[in-house]
Amino acid sequence: MPASVRGPATVLLVVYLVGLGLCVAGNTASGTSRVVGTLKDRLFAPWMVPLWLDLGHDTRLTYGLPEDADHHIEIRPAVSPLARPARPGKGPAAAVLRFPAPGDHSERGARWRRLAAATVLAEEDAEQAGVLPAAIGAGLFRAAGDDDLEVRIVRRVAPDYESARSPRRNETALEVRVRRLDGELQLIPLPPAEEVAPLVDAAPPTGEGR
Amino acid sequence: MADRFRSSIVELGVALSTEWNRFWFTPAPARRLAVVRSLAGGLGLLLAWSWAGDLIAWFGPDGIVSPAVLTAWRSPTGLSLFDAARSSAAVWAFFLFGVGLLGMLAVGAWTPLVAPLAACFWASLLHRGPMLVGPADDVLAVMLWCLAVGRPGDAFAVDRWLAGGAGREAAPSWRNGLSLGLLRVHAAVIAAAAAVAQLKADVWWNGTAAWFLAARESTRVDLTGLLAGSEIVTNIVTHAIVLFEIAFAAGLWNRWTRPVVARAGLVVWPLIGLVAGEPMWGAAMAILAWACVPDEAPER
Repeated sequence: MPASVRGPATVLLVVYLVGLGLCVAGNTASGTSRVVGTLKDRLFAPWMVPLWLDLGHDTRLTYGLPEDADHHIEIRPAVSPLARPARPGKGPAAAVLRFPAPGDHSERGARWRRLAAATVLAEEDAEQAGVLPAAIGAGLFRAAGDDDLEVRIVRRVAPDYESARSPRRNETALEVRVRRLDGELQLIPLPPAEEVAPLVDAAPPTGEGR
Repeated sequence: MADRFRSSIVELGVALSTEWNRFWFTPAPARRLAVVRSLAGGLGLLLAWSWAGDLIAWFGPDGIVSPAVLTAWRSPTGLSLFDAARSSAAVWAFFLFGVGLLGMLAVGAWTPLVAPLAACFWASLLHRGPMLVGPADDVLAVMLWCLAVGRPGDAFAVDRWLAGGAGREAAPSWRNGLSLGLLRVHAAVIAAAAAVAQLKADVWWNGTAAWFLAARESTRVDLTGLLAGSEIVTNIVTHAIVLFEIAFAAGLWNRWTRPVVARAGLVVWPLIGLVAGEPMWGAAMAILAWACVPDEAPER
């Protein structure tokens, strides 16, 4: 290697390795210190981000938490809150589109799962909250054939090891209504079904129990 | 006393400099890097296939990942060539151009130009839909940039055949040594970062993480029956994953352990990928492990 190249190459390497270390330290789920964050953002992010090299590589695989479970997106034509069933599966059946499709183990399906999980996670961020649910609804108007949709993100939560024989349970992580009215996109948060459903089961039938 | 101290500092500096130059700038033959190039190109094609099916649903003019979504989501310094694609046809054109680059990389055609372009394409694709990106995409991005540094078209490549040197081996190049060194550093960093991330959670300490991986609906290999039947097996699988990641990250830096952990990585990373439901990530890590296998006797 020419000596005239070795010096500049060494400098570039040192700079890159420092950037790599800061990116790993600055992209953990545990957060990062202000020093590391500032150094990384000011000196390294401007050129490492465009190259997709600003990575933490913190592949945790699982923490055993509900947010690590498989997520999927369910889309259905919106219904009035009062007409919604108190419990899933108890109301009138509506055509449901699911992304990814059940049994899809492909990498393509994994991308839909990541989108669903990211949508839920982003609701904790003030700047990102609502953006993805609205985008999912709007992006799927054509596929659903309707401009008024309920977007539901469902987790398939596995049982703990102690109850390993139990089935996975569905958990609604996010549910919103997205509609296009006069060309304007509207996002309407939906309260849990239990909060709006009439308590028909709680009242004894007429003429009984008296 | 001061002279002795000074001379020992100088000796240390010389030793470090020699070791640095030996590690980064020793000329290396192109064969290993060429295999990495070919495998990375193939993996890129597979991963690109997983984007293709919903390309317009995600990135089309009325797609989910609209410019408004990207504004809220993407880093201010993030940019993508796909941002210029305003129609479905343009999105497809950009995408197919990139797929062509990955295919050319896999076979080693016009590699000096194609390798950096393929890395740019991949980074652009990931910046277009950052919330869809998985760990295999990240590892591939790193690999593509490392390949762009070296001369991976000097062996097992159409380039070599076109140059009339198919039967002869190209001279070793320091750029190949640099590229392989970068790949080894990243292999160790990725494995170490994964182990550190995992060890923050109780499930990796109490030995039940393997259960939560296997019990996912999306998993390719159903191990739930085996793991539910034996807590010991569950614990062993969990601890083995973390221990291997640590052994891999550390073992790459010792001349005696490196051949063992690097070769073990060819088998173990894909297995971890299968168990974890991230087979593409396992494959990407296996390619990195291949880059770390020493060519001859322990040397670098």
